[in-house]
Amino acid sequence: MLLDIIVSGLISGSMFALLAIGFSLIFGVARIVNIAHTAFYMIAAYCIFFFTQRMGVGPIPAMFMAIIIVTFLGLIAYRFFIEPIREHEAAVLIGTIALAIAMQEVMLLFFTGDFLSVPSLLEGFFSLMGVKIFFQQLLTFGAVLTILIALWLMLMKTRLGLAVRCMAEDREVANLMGINERRVAMATMGISVGLAAFTGAVVVPLTILNPFMWMEPLIIMMAVVVLGGLGSLKGSFIGAYILGFTEALVVFLIPKGAFLKGSVALSIMILVLIIRPEGLFGIAFEEER
Amino acid sequence: MLLDVEHLNVFYDKAMLLNDINMGVDTGELVSLVGPNGAGKSTLLRAVTGLVARDREISKRSTGGDVVLQGLIRFENIQIQNIHAHEIVKMGLVHCPERRRPFREMTVRDNLLAGAYLIKDRDKTMSNLAKVYDLFPVLKGRGSQISGTLSGGEQQMLAIGRALMTEPRLLCIDEPSTGLAPILRAEVFEKISEVSRLGITVLLVEQEVGAVFAMSSRNYVLSSGRIIAEGTGEKLLKDEVIRKTYLGL
Repeated sequence: MLLDIIVSGLISGSMFALLAIGFSLIFGVARIVNIAHTAFYMIAAYCIFFFTQRMGVGPIPAMFMAIIIVTFLGLIAYRFFIEPIREHEAAVLIGTIALAIAMQEVMLLFFTGDFLSVPSLLEGFFSLMGVKIFFQQLLTFGAVLTILIALWLMLMKTRLGLAVRCMAEDREVANLMGINERRVAMATMGISVGLAAFTGAVVVPLTILNPFMWMEPLIIMMAVVVLGGLGSLKGSFIGAYILGFTEALVVFLIPKGAFLKGSVALSIMILVLIIRPEGLFGIAFEEER
Repeated sequence: MLLDVEHLNVFYDKAMLLNDINMGVDTGELVSLVGPNGAGKSTLLRAVTGLVARDREISKRSTGGDVVLQGLIRFENIQIQNIHAHEIVKMGLVHCPERRRPFREMTVRDNLLAGAYLIKDRDKTMSNLAKVYDLFPVLKGRGSQISGTLSGGEQQMLAIGRALMTEPRLLCIDEPSTGLAPILRAEVFEKISEVSRLGITVLLVEQEVGAVFAMSSRNYVLSSGRIIAEGTGEKLLKDEVIRKTYLGL
């Protein structure tokens, strides 16, 4: 039981972390609340399905192609659709909801609303103290961890990472240091969507595809970000694992807990908003631009 | 002149913050802008370093109020009134902002490296870093400390150090003494004169008239968005009206 909870919590926590960090990154740097974030994740999952099931491409090349295509799509959406309305918060919110629904409708047209699935990359499982651990789960967890470490190194060790951190804290002062806001925002959007695409690509064998699959992770991601504090990467990371483990606890410890799974994220979101609206590591945005 | 401002008007939301400003800074000078709160000193610095233009661009794309900037600002005879703030930094005109504003969640070292963002030569950056640590011994050996945990005086040193890392030719410093204890204020002013002695031209905005007049080569007195007097501290202090009305001495 304990091991079940740990395995399940770690895996879903890592997925949430990837999504939430990508979402926080672009919010932190450009103050964009990108509701379409998980829609890009959905597109990536469909790309994998299309390439592996319809075109016969191998799973690994398919993954790379999916990430490249979705990132490119995200950059186009950003450049021509989000950037012109960037300074107008309400417009960004409405615009990105529209974008997500548009992507959902396009997928509905292409693939219909049928539930689809992609076979695991690695078949089989092993038992650890009576708990079945699938190789695919292990692979997903390993890939997620690798990407999280790579992202951390990028943020802490590279020039772009420095610019991203500066912009997340104070856009105006970052500008005074010679940082080109537009270019860094664009690069960050690429990384952010790339992370969403990667998440979609690794999660696809563990889930069922349909054009509405972006909504549930969106709610979870929002809950993570609210819990961790909007704009804080550290908060998103820790918040994601808190949520992952809480979900696992509810599923395994409460009778018929699986039915309550969906309510965990919403309950946490509401509780945080009542008790501590700025979240665990929230930054107070006082008169900065 | 290194910096020339001609007939500069700035409006935010139809409020005139700067009214026909004409001023200049010569290479090697330490020039101060003094005057009461709300006189437009900070706005003048923000206009010079491209932040007003930045606000104007943001306001155009959002529902915020209108920002208007009229007139000419020249740095080394190049017009800069419409140039982006990040491009102006490249030219060597650098702004050390009001309230210090370090990147609070980043380490001291990362803050300083952020100042060196535009300098691609790693060796140069490292030697500049060593120079900044020499100038501000309080920061030395504390490179890995999170800057939000520094005291106010240390944060001011860090902010000036960060600006120096950009290799400025004209360094604009906005209200460095605000919120500091008297001893720390003296220390900050001492550091600013030291920066000036290093050959960097300084444009300083301050409320602390006494200390500023002692160190600056020339001063402008601003009130309600206008320059109402100009000259050395000695000359300005002799003028009874200016002394009583605008400087509160």
